[in-house]
Amino acid sequence: MLEIRDLAFRYSGADRSALSGVSLNAARGKILGLLGPNGAGKTTLISHLSGLLQVQQGRISIGGQPLAEIRRATPTRVAVAPQEYAFYPMLTVNENLECFASAGGLGGTRKQQRIAACLTFAQLERYAKTRAERLSGGLKRRLNLAIALLPEPDFILLDEPTVGVDPQSRAFLLDAVKTLAKNGAAVIYTSHYMEEIEAIADSVVIIDDGKVLREGTLDELLGGGEAQVYLGVDGVRGASLNELLAGFGASTRTGEDWLVTLSAGKTPLALLVALEQVGGKIRFAEFGRSNLEQIFMALTKHSLRD
Amino acid sequence: MLLALIKKELLALIRDVHGLAALFLMPAVFIIIMSLALKDVYDPPVKTLPYAIENLDNKDFSTTLIDEWAKRHGEALPEYTDWSSQVQSGKLSYVLVIEKGFSDALVSAKSDGEIQLRLITDPGLEGGVFAANKAELIMIASEMRARALLAASRMAMTAPRGRPGAAPIVDAEVNVSAQGMVSAERLATGSRPSAVQQNVPAWLVFGMFFVVASLSNLFLQERECGALARLASFGVPVSMMIWSKALPYLVINGMQAALMLTVGVWVMPVLGGDALSLAGIHWGALVFILLAVSTAAIGLALALASLVRTQAQAATMGPVVNILMAAIGGVMVPKFVMPDVMQRIAEFSPMNWGLEGMLAVLLRGSDMGGVLLPSAKLMGFALLMMLIAVLLFRRRVG
Repeated sequence: MLEIRDLAFRYSGADRSALSGVSLNAARGKILGLLGPNGAGKTTLISHLSGLLQVQQGRISIGGQPLAEIRRATPTRVAVAPQEYAFYPMLTVNENLECFASAGGLGGTRKQQRIAACLTFAQLERYAKTRAERLSGGLKRRLNLAIALLPEPDFILLDEPTVGVDPQSRAFLLDAVKTLAKNGAAVIYTSHYMEEIEAIADSVVIIDDGKVLREGTLDELLGGGEAQVYLGVDGVRGASLNELLAGFGASTRTGEDWLVTLSAGKTPLALLVALEQVGGKIRFAEFGRSNLEQIFMALTKHSLRD
Repeated sequence: MLLALIKKELLALIRDVHGLAALFLMPAVFIIIMSLALKDVYDPPVKTLPYAIENLDNKDFSTTLIDEWAKRHGEALPEYTDWSSQVQSGKLSYVLVIEKGFSDALVSAKSDGEIQLRLITDPGLEGGVFAANKAELIMIASEMRARALLAASRMAMTAPRGRPGAAPIVDAEVNVSAQGMVSAERLATGSRPSAVQQNVPAWLVFGMFFVVASLSNLFLQERECGALARLASFGVPVSMMIWSKALPYLVINGMQAALMLTVGVWVMPVLGGDALSLAGIHWGALVFILLAVSTAAIGLALALASLVRTQAQAATMGPVVNILMAAIGGVMVPKFVMPDVMQRIAEFSPMNWGLEGMLAVLLRGSDMGGVLLPSAKLMGFALLMMLIAVLLFRRRVG
């Protein structure tokens, strides 16, 4: 289990913290979806896990042992597949794998075995002798993933691994990630594509402004069986609307629309009737569980980020 | 539409600070440096060269010659017991040796062709300065000889008839020119000074420093794509990353040196030029100074690569630093034609240290002793640059 407790970090010269008291867990065999708008602190968190930033405050540990100690002993136990194509474009696929395998301390037969295994896993065998710069976007993403898997890490951090790829490559990559977890690795997966997270994540952490806004399993986040109404209404607003909605359960405003989690005994029909009775005109109403995007937007607000 | 596109082009130019610097600042700096460096090119600094005199004659005429020479070239430095090594190393530009029979030969109506004045110069002394000094020495000696012969002739004419001693001088038989008694030579080194002998070291040093551009570009590429960060996350230590960059470029520098020397020795004669002579050079000293130049170049490359933030900066900074160092350091304009101030500035350019070391080996036939100082300076510089590189490297990797 990878545990992050109360992690805080401030870049030198910055007027505010990039991370403030972030806590989360990533268990082996599970996929943790890490969500956050641009500038939320994801990159800072990833840099900590990849050993590029030292912990200023808080703790990162694996099985109770500090990450820094683990990285000193076995730096490849935690692998990061960054968002960029972090390999050498002028080298072939095989040469890149050779280079990074050696950098990861692999040698001899073991190195050749791992290169072969990663080529197969990412289905790159046909491209082994192709220069990386000549690969398509999807193939480059697969190479990026294959390099991360070379040292057989226990903890894998994938930073937006499907950006700019076609649906086929995306489906392949998502299946590959699920396989990694099934094989026993702990996977932390960041993406701006909510449907990807919904499709593969066992649990989700939403961060913004360097803080964890919500953490839980997908079921917990998506309502956990509670009835929710997502609606748009005109003709009634302000305190009277708040008061009315509060009578039916917890409400969250998302832009001009509202997400109401109904209290026990309350029905959506009663809510819509009550709104009409006070002069409200229902623009639309959706009943059921929220999707991740609605929750994400509700939590992180709609304002544009840097 | 054209206006909009032109506006875009201008805005892009204005916002590319480093590109602008290369476009405007570099030519301006270049004009200043080259103008200052070439200030004395049409007025060779023959008056300011350090020289010594060995007077074996010690008679009136030799003293007159010394005074006359001092009027034109400044006072001679104190006589060195071992002036040969001083000239060899370039600390003395030349030594004027006045042979024992100079005064007698000067007034002798018939010259016996024996050399009485020897101008022995630094092997690397520029051809123009060498020729100018020799011509001036012949001129002064000829004037003295003419005056001495005239005086002797007048004395003979005014001497009482029948008095013995003053032999009548018949003009037609007297050669007034002192050309036959003057010789000028560069101190023998085994290497013949030629354009190629001077150019190969200069451009080799320049070329070796050009690894700066190549190394920093690749470094930036690695950094921007995240490959360096990935290597770091795989646990590769910074020192290993630096070594993995330094060692290949050390080999490349070695190959550059081999290629340039090959061109000098074998290709230049085929093209009708002079051949580079490696006869009698101290190979150990050559390898040592080449190694020192290479470490300095790689150190500078690593420091610059760690210092710059973008590929645009790397693409501009590397060549600019190289060209300026070359202009200041005596690669583009030989140091000896520069005015004193520029010569002193040149001594701060690592390229000049490398060049001086290479010239010491290839032109002056120096051994290890001759390259120790420039090599020490280069290696000190390399060490300083490496230190900067290591300090900045980690920050840049992340």
